[in-house]
Amino acid sequence: MTSRIPYRRLSLAALTLLLLATSCARLNISNYYRRHRPILDSIEHTYHDAYLKKPFSIEFTDRSFDHVSLELVTDTLTYIYEYRFDETRLPDTLKKYGYDTTSIGWLIRNMRTRNCTWIDNLDYYTETNKHSLIYISLWPRSFNSPFVSKKYYILTYFQQQQYFDSEGRLLVGRRLKRIRKINGDVYHRINDHVCYTISDRFR
Amino acid sequence: MPRNPLLLIILLLTVRPAMAEVHPASTRDQALDLLNKTTLPDSSVFWPNIKQPLFIANLKANINFPQKIYQGSNTNFCGYAALSYLPLNDDPLAYTIFMLSLYKTGEATWNGIHFKPSPEVHLAAGTLRFKGILDIRPADQLWFLSLADHFRSYLNFFTRHFHPGSENTFWAAVNYGKFNRMIRELLGYRVEARGSDLIRPDIADLYDFLKTTVARPGTTFLYVNNTYLHKKNHNKFKGSFPTHFIVLNDIHRIDGDPDMVDIIYWDYGGRTLRQVSLRFLKKITFGITHCIPPAP
Repeated sequence: MTSRIPYRRLSLAALTLLLLATSCARLNISNYYRRHRPILDSIEHTYHDAYLKKPFSIEFTDRSFDHVSLELVTDTLTYIYEYRFDETRLPDTLKKYGYDTTSIGWLIRNMRTRNCTWIDNLDYYTETNKHSLIYISLWPRSFNSPFVSKKYYILTYFQQQQYFDSEGRLLVGRRLKRIRKINGDVYHRINDHVCYTISDRFR
Repeated sequence: MPRNPLLLIILLLTVRPAMAEVHPASTRDQALDLLNKTTLPDSSVFWPNIKQPLFIANLKANINFPQKIYQGSNTNFCGYAALSYLPLNDDPLAYTIFMLSLYKTGEATWNGIHFKPSPEVHLAAGTLRFKGILDIRPADQLWFLSLADHFRSYLNFFTRHFHPGSENTFWAAVNYGKFNRMIRELLGYRVEARGSDLIRPDIADLYDFLKTTVARPGTTFLYVNNTYLHKKNHNKFKGSFPTHFIVLNDIHRIDGDPDMVDIIYWDYGGRTLRQVSLRFLKKITFGITHCIPPAP
């Protein structure tokens, strides 16, 4: 009987440690952003400029970040193609539809390095005014351990200064104090123009 | 004019399907004319949250650009948005008459079906937010909510009444049978359906079947598993059931690769061309509905 007590205590301690490990293993996205800010901001700027010339989005479709899907938006059709990231057909396709192969090639390489699984431009509305934001989904491979949440870390870049409540949650506007949701998720402040959330979906 | 009556019959039989396709029951001009001539009250007692200028702008946009109708992000309105493809393209006048009547009197009848939306829907139309452009499309909100409120099926059994946020839940869900029923009853189309909510249709040569179907007069819808078509996560285990309706505009093989096809389809307010393998297409397709418009 007495020999079973330490065994129980050990089990309890192990379980507690496991729970602690699971709960603590969530990536601190604010710190991640600050650490990698130059490259993340460059990805955003490059995408923003390239999107203005011709709209598109980029998605990495697998965990190894080897396959990339391009959505090329024209006035009449959206073309969706999927290639290996190093296939020659990829730049050929971009050229065919008149896209800037240099900046999109740079984006694909750097998104792959930084584990960005998706980048897109989203429209949102305040009252009747249309605005847009850039949406970057991160899926860090370095956090692929069993205890880490398999969720996506999403950064949103706004053109205008945003407003937040006392808990740092994104609001609809300065006068409109309602919490704004994007894709059904509540967002939190990193700075006045950049917010984050953790989501089950990358888009 | 051919003198041989047999030749005339053959000519009519050959030409008529094409005429049915290019001549809708009404035109955009007729719909716009009606809209311009109709005086609407500045605000509606039935729809307190709908702003009249936005309502009119929304109707005009739908009539002029029928393919732009958008279900809103993260809603379950895709079945209603796909269904809207038919009246907006084939009979915009009937759509406009219905919407104006609904706005002015709070209720309306289409093809003998009377719509009297619940008080909750009356209050909700115009208030849906964070759905992309649907935020500023009160007529679409009214249309989708009224359809969801009226047509019910087993998927809606546990969510009978609208509550704020119901547009994202099973309250708004559309299964295959309900989708076909709405088109048949509301729009009077002849509906030819193959498939179900759980089991894929047993079609030996899917490519050939789809190619033949889209070539016929009418509109072809596919009921698909959207977790593959419009992937939102990288989970290995995905639900193997359909959740989304698309309009198949065309399908053709890719030169030099007999297993790959280009599909051109409409959903989410626009047309898309996508290269997929036939295996993938077979995997995601649970229903194929071909709709033939009623004779004018």
